Amino acid sequence: MNPTVDDILQTAQELRWKVGNNFHEQLMETIYTEAAQIADRSVTYPGKKPRFDLDRTIDGIVTSRLWGFPLMILLFTVVFWITISGANVPSDWIARLLIGIIYPMLKTGAATIGLPWWLSGLLIDGMYLATAWVVSVMLPPMAIFFPLFTLLEDFGYLPRVAFNLDNWFKKSGAHGKQALTMMMGFGCNAAGMVATRIIDSPRERLIAMITNNFALCNGRWPTQILIATLFIGAMVPAQLAGLISALAVVGVALLGVMLSFGVSWSLSKSVLKGEISTFSLELPPYRPPRIWQTITTSMIDRTFFVLWRAVVFAMPAGAIIWLGANIHVGNLSLVEYLINFLNPLGWLIGLNGIILVAYIVAIPANEIVIPTILMLTVLTSNLSGVGDGAGIMFQTDQVETMALFKTGGWTLLTGLNLMLFSLMHNPCSTTIYTMYRESGSLKWTLVATLLPLCMGFVVTFVVAQLWRLF
Amino acid sequence: MNKLTDTTERIFSEDALKHIYECEQEHRRPTMQSVAGSVQITLGKTADLLTKMASRNLLQMKGEEFQLTDEGRDYALQIVRAHRLWERYLADETGFAETEWHELADRHEHSMSPTEIEALAAKLGHPTHDPHGDPIPTAKGEFVPHGGQPLTVMSVGDMARIVHLEDEPETVYAQIVAEGLYVGLEVRLTEISPERIRFRSNGNEYTLAPVFALNISAVPLPKNHVMASSDCERLTCLEPGQSGKVVNISPTCRGPERRRFMDLGILPGTLITAEMRSPSGDPTAYRIRGALIALRHEQGNLINVKRKGKNDNDNQQ
Repeated sequence: MNPTVDDILQTAQELRWKVGNNFHEQLMETIYTEAAQIADRSVTYPGKKPRFDLDRTIDGIVTSRLWGFPLMILLFTVVFWITISGANVPSDWIARLLIGIIYPMLKTGAATIGLPWWLSGLLIDGMYLATAWVVSVMLPPMAIFFPLFTLLEDFGYLPRVAFNLDNWFKKSGAHGKQALTMMMGFGCNAAGMVATRIIDSPRERLIAMITNNFALCNGRWPTQILIATLFIGAMVPAQLAGLISALAVVGVALLGVMLSFGVSWSLSKSVLKGEISTFSLELPPYRPPRIWQTITTSMIDRTFFVLWRAVVFAMPAGAIIWLGANIHVGNLSLVEYLINFLNPLGWLIGLNGIILVAYIVAIPANEIVIPTILMLTVLTSNLSGVGDGAGIMFQTDQVETMALFKTGGWTLLTGLNLMLFSLMHNPCSTTIYTMYRESGSLKWTLVATLLPLCMGFVVTFVVAQLWRLF
Repeated sequence: MNKLTDTTERIFSEDALKHIYECEQEHRRPTMQSVAGSVQITLGKTADLLTKMASRNLLQMKGEEFQLTDEGRDYALQIVRAHRLWERYLADETGFAETEWHELADRHEHSMSPTEIEALAAKLGHPTHDPHGDPIPTAKGEFVPHGGQPLTVMSVGDMARIVHLEDEPETVYAQIVAEGLYVGLEVRLTEISPERIRFRSNGNEYTLAPVFALNISAVPLPKNHVMASSDCERLTCLEPGQSGKVVNISPTCRGPERRRFMDLGILPGTLITAEMRSPSGDPTAYRIRGALIALRHEQGNLINVKRKGKNDNDNQQ
């Protein structure tokens, strides 16, 4: 007699209780193991001698207890030094070309063909100038930093950095590779976001994305350096000024690193609790870096990336700031209304309305914060003979900049809080957009955007209150 | 009646059902006090609650005594099912720690509709046991008990397979988890005394106080059984330069983590050599099938290897 369907199902059910839970995994494991054994038996690797010995020697040095960390610090110091010192010259060239030569040519051209003042203002003073600004400040350091970084990666050194540092990242619930994405973030947070793809564990990748903004990006370094020189360097004797202001900037950057550890830790203990976490880190064999190929591809990639970003994001910002400064309602321009509105909030956190407006305008690109602040200061204090007019960004020498800040009522507190706020505020729009694209989650993108901003408000508020108390 | 009291009442009556069902399983008699203690409400409220449950035909009350009706038992089984499925889900598909599973499952078991419970079971591949070794009742309420007995009742020299780890109280469970014990582990008892229970497994020796051993149930293995993992040890026992062949990946390692290991080629029989340790102490890099892979300490603990002598190693290369 044939068993009925019910009988078969019944037997299956009984057997399931005996077999237990893991049979899917056991089956898979057996198949894998069989396959691996067949491959081991029948595949040979003729004539290919692995270069284990050389690799072992290099690994022995770069991951040794004695040399591992000093070597790492030395290498990264050299990379940053080359970037900062090497970027000034081409930055100057580009600025001279785009702002010193092309900009007046465009203005003359516009006047010759008889463009109305508002159209040439909007297009050239607003949109063109903002774009030129971002390109000249941003392009050179990126074009130096990223190829150097890629060379280290190509050689095989960067995974060893993650290997050396993983224990500390583990303690804050993060992945060792976050060291690398953070380092990338010092160049550009948006690039850092893309770089988190190397972290294959979902939870650690989210942590790396959310905390990337605490790595002080290239667009914020100039602000930090300028403010540190003008306010903190000025407090000490001239011969120490350079050193002290450099230390202040490094201090802010290190504060950012510590914040990123702290935030990683609290995220992994709170909202990200329960997200899947796996770890594995491959240490690929070393190989001679393909220098020329790396430099060209990474240059071209980054160059196009920056230009695209400048066009898409900085141009509208330039237009908005020009319009805001030039459309008047009654006696005041739109932007002045906004400044007056934000002044009380600015005062509470030891800043002022102008700085807050500059940060709103600078959401597309942090590079334009200082030029915007300068322009708005001139605009609101009705100075003549300084700057280039309403809605036209400019930058000037340190003495004049300091004089302008003084006119705007800045104190040491303003400088200090501006440095803190520059470290802790929302990421730029490119970074936000990249985060959204990479994570595919609106929720986490919002967290990454608002968390640093809230922290910035809280920290500057506390600092301002303490300052006024003592 | 508003929705809030509706929900709390559902939680109370479900918790009471679960408690009475557990008493029934363990051949204890549930009392008003034990129900009140388990649900954490006052005696007065408990009386009301039990009366209401009786009126819904979940309980039969005879004076002070009460027992589940068939309907009540079915209901209780569905809650147990939801609870254990949730624990299975938390263990396999999330990164929550072992000690958090129970409490989270306690919270979620009350908010599941029958369709949701079925969907969860299907998603998990209709598992038979929760991560502590308790059987998950089927939708019809059928199950086979794990059949284990506490380690304390076994005798020295016995071999046994752990089939259940009690997850309450949490402090005891946390200790068991910290020892690295898991369902499916095969052990050989070496000492049983009123002070301590001692056993060997995977090359490690474990010593537990009887109060902990009481919460571990195991089934005895036949005398001629060859322990699957005798004389092997954890991958982390290898010092840089030493090699071992993989015996197995611990069954506690599941889901994405296990798949990752297998993708890396960590399979029974694979030769692994410890190469170097990070200057910060962790992770350690291992040579696996020609690639250099860094694994963290707690991951290395999930992989059991059989150490290779120096000579074997030379033959291999």
